Amino acid sequence: MTSFGDYIRASREALKQSDTTFSVRQVAMRIGVEPSFLSKVERNEVAPPSEEKVVSLARELSEDPDVLLAMAGKVSSDLKAAIMKRPELFASLIRELKDLPDRAVLRLVREVRDGKW
Amino acid sequence: MIELKRNELVFSFPEVHEEANMHVHFQRTLRIPDDDGTYPLPAGLGKFPVRHVDDYSDDVPDDWMQHGGVMLPMYQSEALWLNFSGSGQYPFALKVAAGKIDAVTGHSWSNGLNRGPQDYVVVPEQPWLDGYCVKKGIIRQFVAMPLGSGYSVEEQVTGEAEFGGIQVIAYPMRREIYEERFRHQPDMIMSPGTLFGAPAAVQSRVTGEFSMGLGAGGCMKQQIYNDPYDFSDWDVEHSSRCFVHIANSLAWRAITGDTPPTTPLTAREYKKHGIPWFDYYSEGDTAVPGSGVLGKIKSIARRGKEKGDVPLPENEPIQPKRVVKLRRNLRRGQVREGSF
Repeated sequence: MTSFGDYIRASREALKQSDTTFSVRQVAMRIGVEPSFLSKVERNEVAPPSEEKVVSLARELSEDPDVLLAMAGKVSSDLKAAIMKRPELFASLIRELKDLPDRAVLRLVREVRDGKW
Repeated sequence: MIELKRNELVFSFPEVHEEANMHVHFQRTLRIPDDDGTYPLPAGLGKFPVRHVDDYSDDVPDDWMQHGGVMLPMYQSEALWLNFSGSGQYPFALKVAAGKIDAVTGHSWSNGLNRGPQDYVVVPEQPWLDGYCVKKGIIRQFVAMPLGSGYSVEEQVTGEAEFGGIQVIAYPMRREIYEERFRHQPDMIMSPGTLFGAPAAVQSRVTGEFSMGLGAGGCMKQQIYNDPYDFSDWDVEHSSRCFVHIANSLAWRAITGDTPPTTPLTAREYKKHGIPWFDYYSEGDTAVPGSGVLGKIKSIARRGKEKGDVPLPENEPIQPKRVVKLRRNLRRGQVREGSF
């Protein structure tokens, strides 16, 4: 499984191929961290940054924030709050779904209910 | 089946065809003056937020829970339009009503499709709907007013303030007809365009006083296109419908805890920001004639005069300066919500 550092580095480097503003220095400045820190993150020498910085990085790299957070070993705070509000319900739901194939999970939809009128 | 995704009602009929999908969302817009003028189309200023009523079962009125569906917030005398232009090419017949009064014919709601007169629009040929069809090529803008205040078209037509809100029901084209007519044409999936960033706008068990209906505002040039297909092309065995409740801004805050979008733009602000108007035209297409019922309804300003009210603030005439002409089939649906 690709590490967080390797993943963001590959993503950044791919963007840098066509856009020189995606150097470590410039991306670091835009998300508000030291370039040396970002470089260490990419080399897996330090732990991934905070949720806020991971989300900023996701936006910079046009990556899905939830995916990047998961790779960083985090869950977004709004998802966490949703789970904490009804922990038994969501724990049970995730356990039921965790082994289903992708297409089965994707078929779970929430329909708009039509009533009597 | 209808899902709510990113404030859009997404209609899909996988049992009919895997491409039978349509998106409907509700756009904030400028309320055009309710005067003797006829105006071009104002721009979209962003989607209204939409929520499942079921998510607020403890806080919405009982009749909303009975109806099911969704809800969105509107300020009093705010306008809206329905956008269908984010859909693909799969044809749908879509009925739209406000307070269960059909917006094309003025007839009371029924679940089926009718022609003679046609009581539905055809999507994607019809990219949007801004109001009630009062005359051929002219609509009166959908403008939110408190239900029970006497301004909604529902109250004028039925004498009752019972439902409010907006109701929609969609019928897909029959699979075999679609395959025959369209199978070899490229897919014309439209992007809904980007949004214009408009400058920035209880207790549990809110009562029905917080429900809004739609009155008839100013006149706008808009055609409701005749159905170009055979009536038998529609799959009347498959339909999905939805009740869209309209909560006023106070009710929205009380129910959801969220602040509604910023207060609507005034005409002055619209002009100041250089936001264009739009003239959408199609060559060769025919439009439904106006509704005899809707042609007789009183606009909000006129009802206000009768009641001695001033229901529409800032109702001075506007001179639209920048009118962008949109020809049908030329990047349909994108520019009206485009970035400025």
